[in-house]
Amino acid sequence: MGAAETAAVLGAVVLIVGTVGPLVRLPTAPALGLQAIGVGLAGAAGVAVLCGAAPIGAGFHGGLAPALGVDGLSGFFLATIALVALPALAYGREYLRGAPGERWLVALGGLFLLSLGGVVAARDASIFLAAWELMTLAPAAAILVRRTDPEVRHVVFVYLAVTHLGGTGVWIAMLTLAHYGALADPGALAGQGAAVQTLVIVGALIGFGTKAGLMPLHAWLPRAHPVAPSHLSALMSGVMVKVAIYGLIRVFFQWAAPVPLWAGLVLLAVGLLSALGGVLFALVQRDLKRLLAFSSVENVGIVALGLGAATVFLWEGDRTWAAIAFAAALLHVLNHAVFKSLLFLAAGSFERAVGSLDLDRLGGLLRRMPWTGAAFLLGAAAIAGVPPLNGFVSEWLTLQALVHVALGPSLGTGLAGGVAAAGLAATAAIALFCFVKAAGLALLGEPRRPESAVATEPGAAMRLAPVFLAGCCIALAAVPGLLLPALVKLAPGAPAMAAHPGLEVPGTGSLPAPWLLLGIVVLTAVAWRLRGERRAAPVPAWACGQRVEPALGWTSAGFTKPLVLVLQAVLRPEREVEVTKRGGLVASVSYRGEVPHRFDTHLYRPLRDRALAVAATVRRIQSGSVRAYAAYLLVLVLAMLVLLRVGALG
Amino acid sequence: MTAVAALVQVLGGLALAPLLPGTVQSLKARLQGRRGPSPLQPYRELRRLWGKSAADPQPTTLLYRLAPCLVAAATVLALLLVPIAGRAPDWSLGNDALVLVGLLALGRFALSLASWDTGSGFALMGSGRDLTFAVFAEPLLLLTIVVAALPAASTDLVAMGAAAGGSGPWGEPAHWCGAAAFALVVLVETGRQPIDNPDTHLELTMIHEGPLLEYAGRDLALLEWSAAARHWIVLVLAVELFGPHWGGFWEQLGWLALGLVVLCAALAATETAQAKMRILRAPGLMAGGCALALVGLASALVGGLV
Repeated sequence: MGAAETAAVLGAVVLIVGTVGPLVRLPTAPALGLQAIGVGLAGAAGVAVLCGAAPIGAGFHGGLAPALGVDGLSGFFLATIALVALPALAYGREYLRGAPGERWLVALGGLFLLSLGGVVAARDASIFLAAWELMTLAPAAAILVRRTDPEVRHVVFVYLAVTHLGGTGVWIAMLTLAHYGALADPGALAGQGAAVQTLVIVGALIGFGTKAGLMPLHAWLPRAHPVAPSHLSALMSGVMVKVAIYGLIRVFFQWAAPVPLWAGLVLLAVGLLSALGGVLFALVQRDLKRLLAFSSVENVGIVALGLGAATVFLWEGDRTWAAIAFAAALLHVLNHAVFKSLLFLAAGSFERAVGSLDLDRLGGLLRRMPWTGAAFLLGAAAIAGVPPLNGFVSEWLTLQALVHVALGPSLGTGLAGGVAAAGLAATAAIALFCFVKAAGLALLGEPRRPESAVATEPGAAMRLAPVFLAGCCIALAAVPGLLLPALVKLAPGAPAMAAHPGLEVPGTGSLPAPWLLLGIVVLTAVAWRLRGERRAAPVPAWACGQRVEPALGWTSAGFTKPLVLVLQAVLRPEREVEVTKRGGLVASVSYRGEVPHRFDTHLYRPLRDRALAVAATVRRIQSGSVRAYAAYLLVLVLAMLVLLRVGALG
Repeated sequence: MTAVAALVQVLGGLALAPLLPGTVQSLKARLQGRRGPSPLQPYRELRRLWGKSAADPQPTTLLYRLAPCLVAAATVLALLLVPIAGRAPDWSLGNDALVLVGLLALGRFALSLASWDTGSGFALMGSGRDLTFAVFAEPLLLLTIVVAALPAASTDLVAMGAAAGGSGPWGEPAHWCGAAAFALVVLVETGRQPIDNPDTHLELTMIHEGPLLEYAGRDLALLEWSAAARHWIVLVLAVELFGPHWGGFWEQLGWLALGLVVLCAALAATETAQAKMRILRAPGLMAGGCALALVGLASALVGGLV
């Protein structure tokens, strides 16, 4: 047994002990420690395999006998899970202390990690599907342990309903693949004709797309992620949606490969819709965690754009750019996992310190909570996609892939690439808008409510977890090029690529990330020296001579209003102003404004109503009379006999 | 010759940049029948601001004071990415067009956060509008880059500039569409009429000026210089990517100088002829630019006129 294999097996065993432990009276702190060690070991094994060690365990096989193993792609996802899980577990140790149902939360957290690892390490359909279902159920159970109010129960119900309905797509795709033996032998599906392949692709798009939160199948995501305990929100947004991306990658680039062009174009379209739609709804949210959840939809969309570009390139026969687009998607998976979990963890600390995540009630937290605040600011800059941070690096690479689709030979794919590239540029601009708003409202200016003015930093673990992730953001920003060759190698039929610290990609002017980072730091320092430390007397901000009071403070709605007005036709904001007058004088003004999530009212509600109507019709045959049921049985037996007679049952 | 290009890049970008808005203002005054300021006026203002003490609005954090430095740093880096007359000295920063777009966004990010730091309503009003424009300006800029990248099949600014030289590109409809769309990019990025009015002193109408409202002294000087340098960057890009230029290095340098003068005159003429647009109308104009660039892309993909 090699070192990597030992680490993987040991990691799994330790993680299982850490998961079962709290249920058999092991205190939660050592249990979380064991979970962290287990995840760390598994992640280390993943890194080893990704960096060229021999694959661990079994390969994929077509039967239903349980098998586990780790290859390069699984290794990458295991490493990503570990990178997010380690700080999340450390954070959870302090965050959960003394919480009601603490033992259950710790055990369910461990089960969640096990199921995440199970999906990426599964080497047959049965383990894959079992782990897949557990991955959905574990966080749902954790939410129910933590929150018992009816609203949250309804949210969990919606989450389970949508993901299970969509999840049937995964079952269809996986069982079909297993049936034709395509898990073990990628060529097997090609011989079965286009219909089978289409079934698998559509099933995978719906099943994995629902879990990944791709629009329009995302309805559960912005509801479920905000109500989970913060360290689980970080794992859900940071990793769980990525595991769905893992499934999509396996189907598109391995099991059902080579996929037809339309699949790539569908992926581009869905990715563009998710990216633009997700970030637009994120922009108009007032609740910080809900904003972050919508932004996950956006980032999954960006990943889908990268994968769509890779599919189109493969169809065009351009293996180099297919591999680059593929690597861009994986790099964004990693980057988003890091900065989104950072933001969720920091949001959890804000919520604990202030008691609310309503952005219009926060403010001034950078001075009150310098560590958490600075980490949040860095995460916001990274997710906003400004250079030289890691979000820019992967968005740059994805954008390059789309630009090169646009430069491509045929009119159809070229225009699709052009539109997608323009859409991604708009997405990046809106994301910048959105996170300037979030960071500005939460961290800067005067505290908008008294609760924010007395906020304090949490303890060491909750403070260090976001700071650690911020460090990861900077490291990933500084030397992304060292990772790129390993990611490129995971693409099908990829050419070898030399490792540079920056990104040296043919057909671009290259992104020398470390020099850019250094340049920004050095030049800012030079400008700071030039500016000198002359400080004048403090003055209030200019408000035409008025005093600047918290009541005059700019709100979330005010800041985003120009864009909401421009996009009125799409977003259809609702606004109510009520003026109460008494004796000719205005006594009070109440204002309510929001941008409703029209997917709920225009897509999901009709679907739900239709389903309930059909159910009501079907229920009529359930009369409750024994005689009626006996008659049904008789009819069924007769029908089968007839079918047998005509030979329809073989 | 690369050394000369480096000299023009650094010295030209740092020192000549304020001359561009100065020239535009001076020409505009002439066109409007006024005597107006000399083209050197921006230098005098920078010198005046450099000597003045800074104001320190309360309550702010370090971020507010750091923002002008960050904006200036991003602008200097962006300057170093733009090749001069088809030559680019090797600063190990690459010459990628999309990195340039990112650096401009970094400046916007820093300045908008600084607006939140003061909490000043006027600053936030301006930056909210600026960010709204960016939502439409970024796809427009990207699509013009795609169109300009078509002949070279690369987003390397040096290769793009080389492929745009000579008379060849002018036979392609894509080039014309790209040039027209880039004209809009110039108006947006420099904050000129009809998109924004750089001369306004009325807080309620400010867009790009709004976030600068609280700054004074050297901070404001850095920001004013950065605004001038943005003129330099987009105008040089306009000449390199879409302007006529051919011949060796020195001829191209001549074309660059000529192009800058012509573009300044064009900006002055536009500002004289056009009133500022309603803020909510401007995104429609930019969306039109995007459509135009897409038409150019489509025409190139079907093989152009040849």
